Amino acid sequence: MIKRFFASFAAVLVLLLVTCRDADAQKPTATRILSGPLVKLDIKDAQVDPGRGKPRGTLTVAMHFALDPGWLDPLEHSYAVTMQMYDYLVHDAMIKPMPYGEAAYSLAEHAEVTADFRRAAFRLRPGLKFQDGHPLTTEDVKWTYEKFKGAYAKQFHDKLEHIEIVDDRTIIFHFKEPFLDFMDLYNGGVSGIGWIVPKHYYTKVGRDGFKARPMGAGPYKLVSQEAGVQMVFEAWEGYWRRTPATKTIVVKGIIQLTARMAGLQTGELDLAFGMTGKLLPRVMADPNLRWDPNFTGPWWLMFPGYNEPGSPFRDKRVRQAISLAINRQFLVKQETQGIGKPWGNWISPENRDALWGDGKDVPVPEYNLEKAKQLLAHAGFPDGFDFEYVPFPPYFDMGERIMNDLRAIGIRGKLQMLEGPAFRSKVGQGRKGYPGNRSIVQNIDPRAGGAKTNLAVYAVCGSTASFICEPQIEALWTKHQASLDLVERERLVKAIQRILLDEYYFVPIYWNPFVHAVGPRVLPEGQAFHRYWDTLNAPYPWPWEVWEVRADK
Amino acid sequence: MKKYLLLRALYSMITLWLLVTIVFAMVRLTGDPVKMKGEVGADPAYLQEIRRNWGLDRPVYAQYASFIGNLLMGDFGHSFEKALPVRTIYFERLPNSLKLGFTAFVISVVIGVPLGMLSALKVNSWWDSAGKLIALLGLSVPGFFVGLVLIIVFGVNLGWLPVLGKGRSALLLSDPSTWVPFWFQDWRYLAMPAFALGWFFSGAMLRITRSGMLDVLGSDYIKLVRLKGVPERIVVVKHALKNSMIPVLTVAGLNLLIMINVAVVIEVIFNWPGVGMLLYDGLTNRDFPMVQGVVLMFGLMIVLLNFVIDVLYGYVDPRVRLSR
Repeated sequence: MIKRFFASFAAVLVLLLVTCRDADAQKPTATRILSGPLVKLDIKDAQVDPGRGKPRGTLTVAMHFALDPGWLDPLEHSYAVTMQMYDYLVHDAMIKPMPYGEAAYSLAEHAEVTADFRRAAFRLRPGLKFQDGHPLTTEDVKWTYEKFKGAYAKQFHDKLEHIEIVDDRTIIFHFKEPFLDFMDLYNGGVSGIGWIVPKHYYTKVGRDGFKARPMGAGPYKLVSQEAGVQMVFEAWEGYWRRTPATKTIVVKGIIQLTARMAGLQTGELDLAFGMTGKLLPRVMADPNLRWDPNFTGPWWLMFPGYNEPGSPFRDKRVRQAISLAINRQFLVKQETQGIGKPWGNWISPENRDALWGDGKDVPVPEYNLEKAKQLLAHAGFPDGFDFEYVPFPPYFDMGERIMNDLRAIGIRGKLQMLEGPAFRSKVGQGRKGYPGNRSIVQNIDPRAGGAKTNLAVYAVCGSTASFICEPQIEALWTKHQASLDLVERERLVKAIQRILLDEYYFVPIYWNPFVHAVGPRVLPEGQAFHRYWDTLNAPYPWPWEVWEVRADK
Repeated sequence: MKKYLLLRALYSMITLWLLVTIVFAMVRLTGDPVKMKGEVGADPAYLQEIRRNWGLDRPVYAQYASFIGNLLMGDFGHSFEKALPVRTIYFERLPNSLKLGFTAFVISVVIGVPLGMLSALKVNSWWDSAGKLIALLGLSVPGFFVGLVLIIVFGVNLGWLPVLGKGRSALLLSDPSTWVPFWFQDWRYLAMPAFALGWFFSGAMLRITRSGMLDVLGSDYIKLVRLKGVPERIVVVKHALKNSMIPVLTVAGLNLLIMINVAVVIEVIFNWPGVGMLLYDGLTNRDFPMVQGVVLMFGLMIVLLNFVIDVLYGYVDPRVRLSR
């Protein structure tokens, strides 16, 4: 009896010790890494979920395009935000956007940047492992940085002086010059360099082997894939933040909207992306389906030939007339069943430093046909003119509707329909992609990294995709790039946005909902499921470890 | 006969070489794939890295030389979009296309050939009108429409059949235990896409069977057989059927290859993972190696089929081989 008592007591004691040690392991260590003054970083602590229930059920997800095995390799991370869908499944980042913060600690438990922006340091949380049980150390962080060749790679490599590994958990990046955007770009929501790849495994299986059978430190392991068609992921119960709630996640590439709709209705799919469009009323009317508006970025119009001689868009009054002629309320009703929000800025309000286009920072653009006609007449176009309209594919119906609005003031458009990749290719060339001076391009780009990222791509002279090159903006942008003062940088970014809007260089339309629909197997029941879309600036509902479904029959 | 065979084989090789060369040149006329991959605002250095990775930084003649060299080694190159060897992806998809194509082919034959014969035998009757109507519907109602109707009726409303994909069955060359079951599993997934695809071709089969049969039935030797008092059943089965099937078989062979290789629309609607969808993805993403690989394999099948047909013609009819 006494023996049994002592045995039980010892067991409880061991359990308590282990629990305390685990709890300690999750607490960030407070000691500083870098000397000298530091920048105040706004990175949220990780929320470690103690719930350790067994994963259950299968979540079948339909993406709206063919799947690319290349997305499974963070070292070749493109600019496409879609890749993060797979990053959040298989891999884990040092810091990344989470529902509790645009920048949240993940593999790193602590980060520092010196006030001169020449050094950045991270401390990894203790006890991290890859899915094969191999420890994740700063050697992997260093290797990932050095081998990274995806988007922004040149910037990362050009600025780097050297990487200092202090110990298995502490690493310092030394830069040749102030690298102000480092923390923004290193964030997993912006580039792939912060998603840590296992050096030992990658060097063993090689580039192709890794894409075919990737391995990381994320909540799900890839168990099988049919290139372009389907990927199957199984929960990895060793994930540090929490045990994934769903046992199996199957991702399918289904291009056709009707097929995704049918899949949801037959129960073959539990979650489908890109349900905006003609079938949205059916999604909304189906009692078995629920949907989330999933606001991404605003639609806007660009005038690539605006500064060419003879272009009607050279005149601000013409650009303003176009804005006045668009009936945004009607468009929102027709295109999104009233979910979208007429909006006065072209950058997503979820992106840091973006001006809110609902009247808070800038007004919702006015709809006034009479005023639009007057402006056109004053600009010397009383009978309008002809132009080419290039809508973002496949939103051709929306393009037709906008062209109808413009026809009401005498501006006659010819629709130019392009496939998605061809459209991106042309937009990627900026003004050069649209020879002539009479094109209007309808675009949307919910990119992360702060409003400055959108400006850097579309509104400055040096960008390959530049649609605006104006001395006034360029002067502010140069000042922004040279400044080490974060408050001043924010002010400059907002000032540039105001110029773009006041001069009607870009004409915002409405904040777009990229509707996602779920089937009845997704938990929780009712409207609480919207929590899956809480991550800021995320076009898809990550993180995946929190998704719950009913158990398989 | 040996010389004839060698000559046919040489022609086939030249045809294939011309095909791969034309495809190599044509895909490059569609534009720069790097710009599509690069996303808007991509750093030029990043684009240059992609270009280098894909071998597009070299002169076109060097790309062509390595393309032909790799082909001779059985290597179709790496998919730009899917980042894996084209050969691996293609042969992963091919069994699915074969399964869909063969089943659709059987459906088209089962519908088209008997109805075509019936139409010809009962020409200008109610049966003939019904056959003409079915042929018209088969040729004019597109497969995607039939597919969508099937999805709505049997998938969504009745809930009898699944609407997406091919099920769990897979044919793995490395695993012989999958070789046979693959063809017989998951027929519920196969039913609708195979019918939608087969339906479209059944119209063509019906028409060609009908006209072939009418031609033969109107020929002098059939008239002679009938004058001899041979029963009509024997006339049709023994004397007319075989000869009327020659044009049907030629068309059927080509139809089968089309069903296997370019059933793009049906594959997209039913999310059927076949080679047609690979071609579609490859074309829309300017994935040169993928397009080259799929078209080359399609061409190879056509050339092989033609070669076999030529050889059979030469074997059956000595005049053919002697005239060449």
